[in-house]
Amino acid sequence: MNEKPTRRDVLGHAVRGAALMGMGGVAAYVSRRAGPEGAWRIDVERCVNSRHGAVGVAVCDKCATTCVLPLSAVRAVNDHAKCGRCYICPAYFEITSAIDERGLPSQKLCPRDAIRRTPIGEVDPRDPANNYYEYTIDEKLCNGCGKCVMGCKEPAGLSSIRLEVRYDLCVRCNRCAIAVACPDEAYERRPVQT
Amino acid sequence: MTRGLSMPGGRSLLVVLLACAAPALGQYDYHRPVEAAPSEEDIGGGYVTPAVQRPPPRAQWREAADVAVLAAALSLGAWLVLKRRSRNGLVALTIGCLAYFGFYRQGCVCPIGAIQNVTVALVDPHYAVSYFVVAIFFLPLLFAVLFGRAFCGGVCPLGAIQELVVLRPLQVPRRVDKGLGWLRWVYLALAIWFAALPAVSRDFVICRFDPFVGFFRFAGPLHMHLIGGGLLVLGLFVGRPYCRYVCPYGALLSLLSRISWRAVSVTPDKELDCGLCAEGCPYGAIEGLRAVRSSCVSCARCFDYCPRHRVHSPERSAASKVS
Ligand code: SF4
Ligand code: SF4
Ligand code: SF4
Ligand code: SF4
Ligand code: SF4
Repeated sequence: MNEKPTRRDVLGHAVRGAALMGMGGVAAYVSRRAGPEGAWRIDVERCVNSRHGAVGVAVCDKCATTCVLPLSAVRAVNDHAKCGRCYICPAYFEITSAIDERGLPSQKLCPRDAIRRTPIGEVDPRDPANNYYEYTIDEKLCNGCGKCVMGCKEPAGLSSIRLEVRYDLCVRCNRCAIAVACPDEAYERRPVQT
Repeated sequence: MTRGLSMPGGRSLLVVLLACAAPALGQYDYHRPVEAAPSEEDIGGGYVTPAVQRPPPRAQWREAADVAVLAAALSLGAWLVLKRRSRNGLVALTIGCLAYFGFYRQGCVCPIGAIQNVTVALVDPHYAVSYFVVAIFFLPLLFAVLFGRAFCGGVCPLGAIQELVVLRPLQVPRRVDKGLGWLRWVYLALAIWFAALPAVSRDFVICRFDPFVGFFRFAGPLHMHLIGGGLLVLGLFVGRPYCRYVCPYGALLSLLSRISWRAVSVTPDKELDCGLCAEGCPYGAIEGLRAVRSSCVSCARCFDYCPRHRVHSPERSAASKVS
């Protein structure tokens, strides 16, 4: 059954072998710096909405507007451990709006009304200004427009709010539309940290 | 902002900024009441600081599982086409892979797009490519050297979606077909060029103009849906237009499949040269009554046109029902 290999067969094996070795070489070269799978992340220190010192500049809403998903995969996240729980939160209230009868700014900053304000601790109903308030962002409503992040930045707030890519929502486009649009190169694919 | 004020002509800039940054400007009148976050004792009432909700990233083992699924699907595809000669089996594999790589994994990252990641990894020492992406890029190429375009036959979700819409394929004149086929190489060159640019101006054009990833996600920019929809309509009459005239990875695969160790042959054993198969391939891959390795996408459609296959096929009865 086994016929003697013809010259053509031998040549074929040689060409295939060379091709495989070439591919192996490229693969090995590329793999030298390869790491675990990355995920898209926002560098808080570079994003204009959270970068310290970038005060009085326009809010960047590219995270909300350019993601391929109908509702962006980016969310604002309030780090409660850093939050001052202020009575008048500059991320919750539009602090330039007129003061209403309660003595609070009459408008909210979030265009999607995604922030909840709850009095916490020992609540004194007669003196609301003397209470602490917890600000929680509703993940289902927020689209990562960045307004509250800018509003919470030092010196107005304590910079407790930042933007984060939600790993469970992001479909990890190879060419992330936000990374392309991000004016600050703050949007990067990095090995995930667990 | 302050820089803008001190600059000549900074006035108009100020007006623009005032218009769009009014809330931020208002912060100057506002004074933060606290200097640090209050402690749980300060807050009182048994308050506990809530944990920041943080969904975990996709586990690494699932990435590895994707590579394993890819390897298994490629092996199965090669076996179904070359050994079992089963179009039915291959259609099942195609649907399975479309469901898994297309709709479940939502398209990314695919070997076609990985051309760009690998290019960047070659030219940019700061780029961290993932070893899963490297594996996803090279596995189908390896299979092409051994078994032909097994990836195109039943695994690639982009090929699969086109494979399933082929309705009434026309035979494209051979010279037109060959000429348009060069577009793949042009696209490959462009994709490598744009990926190899320095990081600031780099672009992944293959992904930017990916026709079908928008369908897989039920989302995406309009131009993607228009290109994809157009290709699918065209694909009713011209078999797999993206594969034959656009896909840059298909160009690489067709080059490597020329030297493949095993390849599709229309007949299972003896060639009758009866000519019954000549029109059987929707992709113009049968020339001189033989399947041409470089353009054959291993779809197994031609087998049913061969009288020898009908006699020898293990699924003879089923085969006669398939058009
Ligand atoms: S990022 Fe935008 S949408 Fe989300 S909570 Fe902040 S202001 Fe609202
Ligand atoms: S990778 Fe895709 S889904 Fe994720 S943030 Fe970027 S554009 Fe949105
Ligand atoms: S696009 Fe960049 S700068 Fe703008 S909000 Fe997103 S991460 Fe920040
Ligand atoms: S030619 Fe390209 S798009 Fe078509 S099946 Fe092959 S890899 Fe997929
Ligand atoms: S966008 Fe398309 S071409 Fe790019 S990696 Fe994803 S599926 Fe592949």
